[in-house]
Order: sequence, then structure tokens, then C-alpha cells
Amino acid sequence: MKAKGKNQGVQALWHRKLIGKVIRDNHILILMCLPATLFFIIFFYCPLPGIYIAFTNYNFRDGIFGSPFVGFKNFEFLMKSGQLWALTRNTVLYNLAFILLGNVLQIILAIMVNEIRCSWFKKVSQTIMFLPYFISAVLIGVLAFNILNYDTGALNTLIRSAGANPVKIYSMAGIWPFIIILCNIWQQTGYGSIVYFASICGIDSQIIEAAEVDGATSWQRIRYIILPSLKPTFIILMLFALGGIMKGNFGLFYNLIGPANSQLFPNTDIIETFVFRTMMNQNNFATSSAVGLYQSVFGFILVMFSNWVVRKIDPDYALF
Amino acid sequence: MRKAVKKITAALLAGVMVMGLAGCGGNQKSTAVGADGKADTSKHEVINMLVLGDKPSNGRCEAMLEKLNAVLKEKVNAELKLTYVEWADWQTQYNVQLLSGDKSLDIITTATDWLYAWENTQKGAFMPLSEDLLKVYAPKTYQQVSSMDDWKYCKYQDQIYFIPEDYYTQYTNHGLFYRGDWAKESGIENGDIKNFEQIGTYFQWIKDHKEGVIPWDIGGKINPGGLLGGYLNSKTDNIVIPSVNVGNYEFWMGVSKDDPFTVTSPYMESDTIYDAAELMKKWNDAGFWREDVLNYDGDCREAMYAGTSGSDEHHSQTYYSKIRPSMDRKQPGSDAKMYWWGTENNNVSKPLKTHGAAAISANSQHPERALMVYDLLRNDETCYRLINYGIEGVDYIITSDGKLDHPEGWDKSKDSLDSNYWCGRNDDLELQDVQWWDGTKGMIDMYNTFAYDNPYTGLVVDKNSVEAEMSAMASVLSEYIPQLAYGKYPDPKKAVDEMREKLKAAGYDKVKESIQQNMDTYKAALGK
Amino acid sequence: MKKNGVKMTASTAVVRIISYICVMFFSLMCLMPFLLMISASFSDEGIITREGFGLLPKGFSLAAYGWVFRYPKVILGSYGVTITMTVFGTILGLFLIAMTGYALQRQDFPFRNALSFFIYFTTLFSAGMAPTYIWVSRYLNLKGSYMAVFLQLLMTPWLIILMKNFARSVPYEITESGKMDGADDFKIFITLILPMLKPALATVGLFLALGYWNEWYNSMLYLGSAVTYKPLQYYLYSIINTAAQLKSSMAGAAITITDLPSNTLKMATAVVATGPIIFLYPFVQRYFISGITIGAVKG
Repeated sequence: MKAKGKNQGVQALWHRKLIGKVIRDNHILILMCLPATLFFIIFFYCPLPGIYIAFTNYNFRDGIFGSPFVGFKNFEFLMKSGQLWALTRNTVLYNLAFILLGNVLQIILAIMVNEIRCSWFKKVSQTIMFLPYFISAVLIGVLAFNILNYDTGALNTLIRSAGANPVKIYSMAGIWPFIIILCNIWQQTGYGSIVYFASICGIDSQIIEAAEVDGATSWQRIRYIILPSLKPTFIILMLFALGGIMKGNFGLFYNLIGPANSQLFPNTDIIETFVFRTMMNQNNFATSSAVGLYQSVFGFILVMFSNWVVRKIDPDYALF
Repeated sequence: MRKAVKKITAALLAGVMVMGLAGCGGNQKSTAVGADGKADTSKHEVINMLVLGDKPSNGRCEAMLEKLNAVLKEKVNAELKLTYVEWADWQTQYNVQLLSGDKSLDIITTATDWLYAWENTQKGAFMPLSEDLLKVYAPKTYQQVSSMDDWKYCKYQDQIYFIPEDYYTQYTNHGLFYRGDWAKESGIENGDIKNFEQIGTYFQWIKDHKEGVIPWDIGGKINPGGLLGGYLNSKTDNIVIPSVNVGNYEFWMGVSKDDPFTVTSPYMESDTIYDAAELMKKWNDAGFWREDVLNYDGDCREAMYAGTSGSDEHHSQTYYSKIRPSMDRKQPGSDAKMYWWGTENNNVSKPLKTHGAAAISANSQHPERALMVYDLLRNDETCYRLINYGIEGVDYIITSDGKLDHPEGWDKSKDSLDSNYWCGRNDDLELQDVQWWDGTKGMIDMYNTFAYDNPYTGLVVDKNSVEAEMSAMASVLSEYIPQLAYGKYPDPKKAVDEMREKLKAAGYDKVKESIQQNMDTYKAALGK
Repeated sequence: MKKNGVKMTASTAVVRIISYICVMFFSLMCLMPFLLMISASFSDEGIITREGFGLLPKGFSLAAYGWVFRYPKVILGSYGVTITMTVFGTILGLFLIAMTGYALQRQDFPFRNALSFFIYFTTLFSAGMAPTYIWVSRYLNLKGSYMAVFLQLLMTPWLIILMKNFARSVPYEITESGKMDGADDFKIFITLILPMLKPALATVGLFLALGYWNEWYNSMLYLGSAVTYKPLQYYLYSIINTAAQLKSSMAGAAITITDLPSNTLKMATAVVATGPIIFLYPFVQRYFISGITIGAVKG
């Protein structure tokens, strides 16, 4: 019901009344969202202006907003290093592999676990597959070294006992992307498949029963009922992950590759590890904020674009 | 959507206003000197000292502090509280403590060569200390430091910013620890390694005769620079310029002790680096360290104690206080020795006088009392012994010849004091620990005969204008140095040349000029 | 009918067999390194350094555990702190997240898109470590307080969006029927919706609990040594890191260095850290029941 009055005042009054009514009608729902809203205002939006530090030469005395403004100087070292393109490429490609491959494998795993009928096997295997998540990146590095190293590693011990020549894995740059992706998948799949498994559990059992009565095979059931029901979750998780496409898994890379083995850097260096190595002794808050800002802007543009595309296809699947 | 936008804007504005207040933090100037020259101690104050170390959990430190605070209360009506920055992630934690602008911090432990003293001074974390303030509230310290004319080393823009631990003898020059018994068997005269090449002989002997022992079982992950720095130190006269490390590496040096004010870098400008790289390749091919050394982070010192490593690398104080006594216990007869970098050419500098220092936090609410407490800790025998050694009879005892020992049943791993006080030690009051090697004094005296004063004490380098270039150079070094240090390049000379090209492209000349400028200013200020 | 029966059995059997085999294979792959870890934690440090890990302990020794439990009071305190934070944080956080997630997916809620974006935006940009630290420690005055850790982990955008997605699978008819009965949104949420969200609650609750259990970064920044009992992961992490730092430190002999068995110690701390939480998962599993019935609604 729109008022057609030429009088702005009346229109404004109408608008206010409308807003007021809308709020009153939905006040319970609004209140339900209030804690979360407050939480994010306090812990996130309030310090956000501090991102200005990325453009300053920060010192304690003047604080963030008093420190001298230096424009893009803090971003310079990223540009000057000549590595920015390679680092960005590495970061993005690894993340794509982690996200796409990871999610696909998680879905497959969830579906397979769902097919298991033996209850104790299901429970035990799910618990076991969940374990790798608890193994921190530090330990993965230690375990990897123990298996792969030349002098005492399990792999080379095996190779030697078979009579062949041992391999210097830590000097072969080409193989490491696979090792890293494998480690990431090993660590995350069990944990990530839970989301999909819970989704499958949420499928209305009547639909499944109806399908079985109609004579659908397992494979048909999976293809026509389960997969489509997982689609929204998959897309949402995908979109969500895109926002962080430039943010690498520092722990994993740092512990597997280390700061010293530069033979492997071209294939495995990501933005975070590079920044850590070069900024280690410099105690510079402003620069690390600058790097974070660079990563954020990149992810922001990507996600905005992707969400817009998804929204055009099917608004229900969009993130917002 | 509009509502949301409005909400976000409101939040941002609120945030900006509040954060703007952040600028008002930490602007306290040192208070004026008491009118009558005598300090007013009528109000009891708690002085909070920031130390680097793990908070002890065996109760010994708490017990000591109780006694110490009783003494402090009586003398200056104050008590001491310790705030610990623990070793795990100390770099982040230490700087973040300063970031918090915590008003309760008073004394801050710092150092110019590795604890960001100058950086933090420039960033305004410390309070300037006027000479009057020091004279009135820390008279004994002021006397001591003035007598050696060391205040000039602590000045920035003509103001004093911290108190140096300059009256304490320690040698922290690096070198290689090795086993004298094996060295002797390898044919080295008297088992005394006298030049760098002999290390190779020693290593080779271990490789040939000691099954299951790695000559130098170093973790390259933790020590990416390897022996390169040591080689350069031993074969050139260059002196490292402190606090301008490029990434993790000591890169910038002065030409020599006779010409310390010309900036150079042996990595770029001398041929010695070629020799170093070739030698390291030879040693790598001979298998003196693990093949995957660059990813190995094992503990070399433990390996040496266990007999599976023939050597370890660190500095002199570690040698005479720990390595030698431990090796005598764990590997009797091993006769652990140290080949210090500079054995061949006497290129050893005394440690910086500001290797340990105490600053007062810019936000401190009672700097005067803090200085008084510091003065006592440094110069008063009772306080000194309490904070350094603990409670007499319980934590330590004094032997008949005036040395420091521990009572029966005292176990270092369970009962140690861990007060982590090293910003104000004092030779006059320091007791020598019987557990240290009894050749300690001899070693220090020997060093004293040829070690030269570090010419860069007090040098402040402004890194702001060349940060981007330094970072770019750090990235180049982190690419090349570890592989050069552990001999992983098939053609070391080519690698060095490549590295040099990239360093030039990263801005080597610009940085060199900038440091040279700072050096010239410093030289002029010294009146040389 | 028989023809259908045969078709169903064969294809189903194949799918099932493949599933069993793959799941078994993957489980073994997950278990193996874990076994290596456990056996290493019970081994002798010297042998491990020389020979590497094995599936069985080499030179059985409890030395590593001795180090972890050196100060039993402290580690018990750490456990206590972490368990308390995890339990309370999970319960409170789960409730708030579920509430928000449900509200945000209600198609008739006009502000849902704006609020969703408002929450989601926080994952795209972050102020960075320094400004956040200044804000939390100085202005919120939470430096040195457990609240600095507890509060910040209560909700994450990812969990809210996840919950929103799960809530969407609950049919709107249920909400409608509740409204017809005259209940307000909150009452509908509590009495009708929550019971249908069991798998979702289990999932989000599990992730939330894990977030609390594994947390060490905020503890490092905001707590440091200011508290008597550090949260578990941070405490264990500092045991390991301290040794490494001390060996290469420049501060000289003023610090006592003790002989820590580094490799086996890392393994032992991992076992100690993981131990209890493994048992949370089987407990939560029972909520992953298949299929919700909406028969109740239609009736």
C-alpha cells in the first residue's frame, strides 16, 4: 500500500510507520538474531577500522590513527619481491584443490558410510576417520619427515630392502604438491564428511522408502535423491570457502616444508609462509595487516562475483 | 538492506571514534625530579617487571619473591611482581605486551641486538630517562654506568632510553663445540682445532671410524645459516653490525676493527663466500650432516650428549656454563672443546654492552620507584642474591671459596629458580657457579687479551625507509643461503652469482647507502 | 516382482561392497599414522632419533609422559579449564547459533538477507592481529582473562550459515502449524524445531566443541602467562616450543635448560591432547539418526 502524496512529510511518516510495523511484526525473530548481531559488532566491526594500520607507519606512541600515513608503502615489499604472482598462484591453486577435491571426496565418503548397514562397523570407522583432524600440523610434519626422509625414513628403508636406490624426496620439488594435497585430504576428509553425513540423515525417510518401493537401485537412490539433497550444502560450503581462497593453511605448509628447504619453494611457497620468512625479524604489525588486507580484498571480489552468478541461477542457493 | 547499511555505518563510526582514543595512549613524559632531591616513599607501590622466560611452577620463585619483597618494602616501600613472556612464540608475545599499552608494566627487559630495543624505542614504547631522574632514583647504577661512559650507547635523539647491563662479563661469541678425545685420535695436534679446515679432518675421522655417529647432526630447519657465518668470521676481518639482520641472517658488516665504519657485506663483495660455498658442498657430499638436513629439526645438543653427534654449535657462555660440564658428566673423557670463530684471526668482539638492558615502559605509573627497585636489584647484595640465586640455604649455598653451589638434593630440573633476571647483573656481586667449567675464568681472561670492544654499541639504524628492500633481500637470502650453507647446489659458484644478481635487483645498493648514512652520523657523534 | 528383486539385490550389493572396502581402506590410512604416534610416545628417544618411528614402541619408555605430567597439578588444571570452557561454550554457543540459524532461514523474515550478509561479511575482512588485540585487551579490558578466549569462540559465521542450511530442511509446515496454534516464533523454535534438528545440533555442537578444545592462538595472545592454568593445547604447545627456543636463544646462561626428549615428547603431548575428545564423537554419533518423519505434521 503505497501513499501517492506529494507531501514528503506524509510519505516519510508512512515509511516510518511501515518500518515500525515490520519491526513489531517480526520482533521475536529480530530478538533471536540479536545476540549474534551484537557479538559480531563487538568482536568484529568495532576493531575493523583498525585496518587502517595497514596504511601507516605504526608506532606505540601515536596509536593506530595517529601514526603517520604512508599510503601503499607497506604493500611494497610484496610487489618488490617479484614473487607476488607465483605466491598468489600457488595459494589459489592449492586452495582450489583442497576445496574441490576435498568436498567431492567428503561427499563420496559420506554416501559410502551411509550405505554401511553394519552398525558397529559404521561407528568404529567413523570415529577412526575422524582422528586425523586432531593431529596438528606440527605432528604431520614430524610424521612426514619420519616416513619420507632419506637416511632413516620408513619409505626408503623399504626401498633399500627391496634392493632399489633410495629416493631423495625432500629434494624433489615436483612431488610435493601431491604430498601436501594428500596430507590435507587425509586430515580434513573425515571431519568434513560429517556435515554431509548429517545432511543425509536429514533427508525425509518417507521419500527414501517410497523410492525403494518403486524399485530403485542403490545407485539410483544415490543419484536421484541423495546427491540432489546435498547440492545446496555443497554450493554453500563452496561459496564460503571462496572467500578465503587467498588465505593459506600456514601450519600445514610451514611444518611440511619448513623455512629452510628452498629447493621446494617454487612449488610450495604460499603467501603466509613467504611473509613469515621475510618478516620474521622485523616486528612490523602494519605490514602483516597489509598482507591480510590484500588477501581479503581478493577473496571479497571473488566471492561477490560468485554469489552473484549463483544468485542468477537459483537464488535459493546463494549465500546471501 | 538499508537497515543493515545503517547499522554497519553506525558501528564503523563508533569504532573510529573509540579507536581514535587509542592515540591518547602512552603519552606520559617522565615526571619531574622530587623537589628536595630525596625520594618520597610514603606510598606503597607494586613494580611490575617484564621478563623473558617461562613462569616457574615449582614455587621457588614465589618463595624468593616473598623474601625479596620484605626487603624491598623495608628499603623503598615497594614490591616486585614479575610478568613472564614465555619462550614459545616469544617474538609475538613480547611485542604484543607492548602493544597492549598495559599501564601496569614498569621495567621492561630488552636488548639492542635481539630484543628490538631500538625498534621499540623509535616506536615510543619506552620512557625517556633524564640524567637527573637517574641520579636521584638510581644513584649507584648511574655511578656505575657513568664511570664507563656507557650512557651514550643508550641514547636516541639525545635522550636515554634504557639502562645497559654493562658491568657484567660474558662472552657470547659463537663457535663449534667438538670432542677433544676424538680430535686427538684423528691426528689433530693435541686435539686442538686451530683452523677451519681441521674441522673437516675431524668430521672425516668420525665418518670413517664412528659408526652411527653423525659428525654434525644439526637440524637445518632451526639453523638455516649453517657454518657460513662462522667461515666468514674466521677468514675475513668483517664485524657483524647488530640489529640489521636481513631476514634471519647476519648480512651487513663493517670492514674490520680498524675500519669499522665502512659498511660492506662479504656475501656480495668478497670472494671468501665462494670458498665457503665450495667447502660446504664438499662437506655435504662427504656426508657430514644428514641428507635431509634442511627439514630436520632434531636437537643437536642432546645428540652430542648422547654421543650420536660429534659436534654442536653455539656460543662461549653456553660452552663454559653448560656444554663442558654436561659433557664431562655424560661422556666422560670426551674433553669437549670449542673452536670459536676467530681462532685463526682473533676476530672476536666483546659482547655489546646492551646485550641485556632495562627500560621503563612509556605507560608506567611510577617510574621513580621502579628505578629505585632496579637500583637495589643491581647493587644491593641482599637483593641481588635473592633475585639471582634465591634463598640462601634452600636454593643455594656459598662454598668456602666464595663460589655458588647448591644444597644436597637440589635438582636442576625440578628446583631451579628461573627468575630470568638478566637486565642488571653485576660483576661485583656475581658469584661463580661451581657447576660451570672451572676453566671459565681462564677462558674469559684469554678472550680479554685480544677481544676488541664492539664498535657498534649505540648505533641506531633507521630501517624505515628501506624496509621494502630489506624484505625483498630477505626473500632472496632465504632462497639461497640454506642451500649454500648445506652444500645442496651442484654448482655453488653459479648459485652465489645468481644470488648476487638478485640481491642487486632487490635494492642492495639503496640499503647499503642508507645504513652507511646512519653509520656516518654515528661516527660523527662519537667524535671519531 | 522377482525381476525387480534381483536387480535391486545385485546393484545394491555392489554399491555396498564398494562402500565397505573403501571405508575400510580409508580408516586404515587414518589409523596408521595415529598408531605410529602412540607407539612413538612410548618409545625411547635415542632409538627413535636413530631409527625412525615404528608401529610398535622401540625401547619401551614412559619418559615422555613423565615430562608431560611433570607438574600434575598444572596439567590437571589445564584439563579442567579446557573442559569447563568447552562444555559451557558449546552449550551456550549452540543455543545461540541454532536460534540465529533458524531465524535467518525463515522466508518470511524481511531482514534475513541483510543480517546474513552482515554476519558473513566478517569472514571476508579482518582487522588483523594488532587492531583486534588492542581492542580486546585494552578497550574490552580482557587481557589476561579467560573471557578473552571464551567469548571469541562462541560463534563463527561458518557455523551459523551451516545451521541455517540445516534448518532449511525442516519443512515450513511445521512452523505454520505452530503459528496456527498461536505460538510465537521463539516458542515454535524451542518446542517444534529443535527436536527436528538433532543431526544439525550434533554436527554444529561437535564442531563448536572442537573449536574450544583445539584453541591455542587466542590463549597465546591474550593469556600468555597471566593465568595459573593455561588451556590445554596452549600448555602442551609451550612445553614443546620452549625447549626449541631455549637452545637457540641468545640470552645466554641465565636460563636453565633441561634435557627434553623432543620427538617422543611431541607425540606424547599429542596423545594427551587428543585423548579425551575422541570419546565425544561416539557420544554424538547417536544423534545422526537417519530420516526425520513429518508424519506427525500431517496427522
